[in-house]
Amino acid sequence: MKFISRKIIEIGRELSELDRFTFDFIRVLREHTPYVIVSGYVAILLGRSRASEDIDIFIPPMRLEGVKALVVGLGKAGFECIQAESHDEIFGYLKDKYAVRFARKNAVIPNIELKFTKTAVDNLTLKDAITVKIGKDALMISPLEMQIAFKEEILKSPKDIEDARHLRNIGEGHLDNGLIQGYRKMLHGLY
Amino acid sequence: MGFIEDNERERLKFIDFWAAFVRSHDDKEWSRQQNIIINSALKSSKMTKPQYFKMKGEM
Repeated sequence: MKFISRKIIEIGRELSELDRFTFDFIRVLREHTPYVIVSGYVAILLGRSRASEDIDIFIPPMRLEGVKALVVGLGKAGFECIQAESHDEIFGYLKDKYAVRFARKNAVIPNIELKFTKTAVDNLTLKDAITVKIGKDALMISPLEMQIAFKEEILKSPKDIEDARHLRNIGEGHLDNGLIQGYRKMLHGLY
Repeated sequence: MGFIEDNERERLKFIDFWAAFVRSHDDKEWSRQQNIIINSALKSSKMTKPQYFKMKGEM
């Protein structure tokens, strides 16, 4: 794993089933909208020794037409929404700030938990997303400093504390500790 | 020190050990080992939609 710059990490990893699932989804998603992957999968992608059944992704708010086109594209690629069927219903969930989950057809796990950004923190995470290059492809993930701060300051479960510790260990020498502190302070006042 | 504290300390020790392994080994090597955990977990977790949403507290 190489930290090429503050915005680019390069990993020569073998892909897991979870990585293949994520790449298949992202190849469709990025044709329709900017996105950022957050939470547990960020730590897993960077080597954390655990699994997850879902991948959390933020996208900026879209109109109904945009959501329809995305869902059609995902359908062609073999994905379906597991808690709603109609485009209107899927759009309704997203518009009301709920997550919608997409899995491969006739499956539930793994799944993508897709949400519109709704807070200033979500928007900042999307705006400052960093690139993880894997082979010839790439994924956009949250800045590591934001993930660490969010997990340590807001989520705080043992799993989240361990994810944050892994990211701190992996990113040692490349992380902006002042930024982590700044994010922690900002999050403390928001949640 | 109690069981819970011992367990927590051991877990954190392993987090540090594993991160050091990731940093000091080729990506192919650590990811091959990591994928054993990920792929087997996905293979063994078959659920219906109602079971899944109940587990997630979304029902």
